[in-house]
Amino acid sequence: MKVLMLGWELPPFFAGGVGMVCYHLTGALCQQGVDITYVMPFGPRMIRSDYMKILVADNLFPRLRFQLKEVDSLLSAYQTPEGYDEEFRKHLLELSPTERARSLYGPNVFQEAYLFARKVKLIALQEDFDVIHAHDHWTFPAAIAAKQATGKPLVVHVHITEFDKSGGTSVNQRVYDMEREGMHAADLIIVVSNLIKQRIMNNYGVPESKIRVIYNAAEPVDPTVYHDASKIKETDKIVLFVGRITLQKGPDYFVEAAKKVLELDQNVKFIMAGTGDMLPRMIERVAQLGIADKFIFPGFCSREEVAKLNKIADVFVMPSVSEPFGLVPLEAMAQETPAIISKQSGVSEVIQNVLKVDFWDVNDIANKVLAVLHYQSLHNELKQHGFVEVRSMTWDKPASQCLDVYNELLRMKKGG
Amino acid sequence: MVSICFYFQVHQPFRLRKYTVFDIGNKSDYFDEQKNRQIIEKVAKKCYLPTNKILLNLIKKHKGKFKVSFSISGVALDQFQKYAPEVLHSFKELAKTGCVEFLNETYYHSLSYLFDKDEFKEQVLLHKQKIKDLFGQEASAFRNTELVYNNELANFVQAMGYKTILAEGADHVLGWRSPNFIYTPKTADKMKLMLKNYRLSDDIAFRFSNKSWSEYPLTVDRYAQWVSSTNGNGYVVNLFMDYETFGEHQWEDTGIFQFLEQLPSELLRHPDNNFVTVSEAAEKYQSVGELDIHHFMSWADIERDLSAWLGNSLQNTAATELYRIGKLAKQSGDAKLIEDWRKLTTSDHFYYMCIKWFSDGDVHKYFNPYDTPYEGFITFMNVLNDIVIRIRDAGKKKSGLESAGNLDSYVQSSPSEYAHNFISDHPSLILMDLNVNTIKINNIDPMIKKL
Repeated sequence: MKVLMLGWELPPFFAGGVGMVCYHLTGALCQQGVDITYVMPFGPRMIRSDYMKILVADNLFPRLRFQLKEVDSLLSAYQTPEGYDEEFRKHLLELSPTERARSLYGPNVFQEAYLFARKVKLIALQEDFDVIHAHDHWTFPAAIAAKQATGKPLVVHVHITEFDKSGGTSVNQRVYDMEREGMHAADLIIVVSNLIKQRIMNNYGVPESKIRVIYNAAEPVDPTVYHDASKIKETDKIVLFVGRITLQKGPDYFVEAAKKVLELDQNVKFIMAGTGDMLPRMIERVAQLGIADKFIFPGFCSREEVAKLNKIADVFVMPSVSEPFGLVPLEAMAQETPAIISKQSGVSEVIQNVLKVDFWDVNDIANKVLAVLHYQSLHNELKQHGFVEVRSMTWDKPASQCLDVYNELLRMKKGG
Repeated sequence: MVSICFYFQVHQPFRLRKYTVFDIGNKSDYFDEQKNRQIIEKVAKKCYLPTNKILLNLIKKHKGKFKVSFSISGVALDQFQKYAPEVLHSFKELAKTGCVEFLNETYYHSLSYLFDKDEFKEQVLLHKQKIKDLFGQEASAFRNTELVYNNELANFVQAMGYKTILAEGADHVLGWRSPNFIYTPKTADKMKLMLKNYRLSDDIAFRFSNKSWSEYPLTVDRYAQWVSSTNGNGYVVNLFMDYETFGEHQWEDTGIFQFLEQLPSELLRHPDNNFVTVSEAAEKYQSVGELDIHHFMSWADIERDLSAWLGNSLQNTAATELYRIGKLAKQSGDAKLIEDWRKLTTSDHFYYMCIKWFSDGDVHKYFNPYDTPYEGFITFMNVLNDIVIRIRDAGKKKSGLESAGNLDSYVQSSPSEYAHNFISDHPSLILMDLNVNTIKINNIDPMIKKL
């Protein structure tokens, strides 16, 4: 089985969970004998992988690369069009007039996506593969181009939709159109949860028969992580939030629940790790509620730092308003920290040994935080069973399900 | 000759409502009236009423030759009185036929025997009285919650005057022996022990509608053949099952009602077959030998042990703490408080906290009001914390009255202060100083060690 896989990112050149998922998924697929050519738009000139072929579209076309290289760093999977424009403007100001002119060649993220499509079309005509597998919407124009050029079947992998990012309040029409076009051009669609399945059926008019749900697995974590938090732990217990501090992640519900917890127990510290457009508002709100001394805002944290925080926390909370899957609680559980997760998350469809809440029910979030902090046997059972459960969620399962989808695509093609 | 002994278990717990930490010290309405009513009404319609009607018709049709036995928990009877009096009426109609025996059990369908034998005794006596009041029967046969059983229990129940006791016919205690005989429990030589024939019972209770079962669909003549083939290899076939099997676990469209309607005639076609109630069987047949069952066993799950209720630290913590405060709750003299505490002893609350998901999980989820076993634990412990506050208040009130002699000296602390002190795994620790001497923990520690 030979796959042309299109992704926007791959670690260490990534901004979020999708790059990580691509990394683990491709690794497990290769172990199952799948031959992958992974194409991404930008990256270092020399990039090698011991298990798959990686092509950086930009490096293959020197002339184009020259024109595009200045904007490489601006792109990431979580970039919003507005954010991109803003950064791009700032970036341009720092350039000389000639450089600026060159850079104008790709003045927005949509254009990047269509440029990528042109290059992928050329790559597709040269490469040998059976199916095309494209991750999230920025690669969809490229995927469609590759399909049109070669006639090979296409599966698109939906990790998140525009509705999840914006909380449904400000959907960008152009992003939506790009997503929709890709979904309809695809022969099959992989989604990471039933939550996303429902969403693309309801909001994108995709027929149920085209959709396959494949849950992500957990990331292997370093169990030897150690951090000395004995000074805090002497008096206080730690409640942890990790994620972008944006509407989607429900940071405001975390703060309101913290206030409730503190009404009954003063010996608790709340750590809110991450950054995002709602961070200033959260800091303000915490001050307004008079609980600023109970909060720690460490800002953006590296993976290593997150692992340390997970290790020292007594309970982890993910109050996401909408979470297509949600890998973060799995990382906490892998560090033997009990997790409380929003029912409005894909991951809650697959894990059992956690506490589940409605994100808006701050009373219940506080109730469960206090229960985990005060009922030692509950803490222990969640910790033990959660750890075992996460350890059993390995990537070979989603990989073999992907392989099933590839085979299904080939059968469909033969059949008609 | 083969006697067929049907015993049906009827039970519904008082399920708890969602009770958060913020309710502790503020609200003491623990039970979900609406949900409990809904479930009783639903099961009454799907199971209790139609099945009782079928049994009544069968008894009339066979003119005294068809007989059954029931054990109905006190909390189920309470809920029938409250939510579905017509169900209670239909059981009374059955009682009047003289072909239906009602057994005794713990009123609250509890595991009290394992933790507090005085409480166990009180709950059995409460149930005895209730059955006498409602059905006019003085029971001489006993069945413990979920057929939890061992030698010592048989001995204890014998001392209470019972003549017959039921248990699971588990392979690991029977070995080569057959469940189709009457046995004598070791250490209780006046008792008759009757064992469930789990194969034939589960053919109806669990496998009846299972399409992947090789015997599906089960017909009355084939089933009657299996029962009759016991002839020569036993006296009595004990078909013990949850009454909710009919119409609720096995839905009407599986044909379970027709099966029940036709089975007695089919069995009685064989001249050697007859139906008996539990006590009749015990009188009719002699014991074939002594059975030594030292470790507790039950009829639940594949393990047939206590692990469905006391198999993890959540369950053990909840049960230990509950029984630890029992004597103090009773000393309060507050009838409502005592009743609330007793409703918490119902075994279902611990069953909901079971984490053995993957093999037996689907049975555990049945009627389970919680999404996860962890939720069940949190709610239970929050409620228990409130009970502890009520006990403390009652204690303060009492001692306040006794020592100072007037109510003014009794000052109540604020609810949140209480909650703060009490949210813990060991809510009873705070009570220790109140009345150290009365706290006596029964055989709990060795038992948990065993688990």
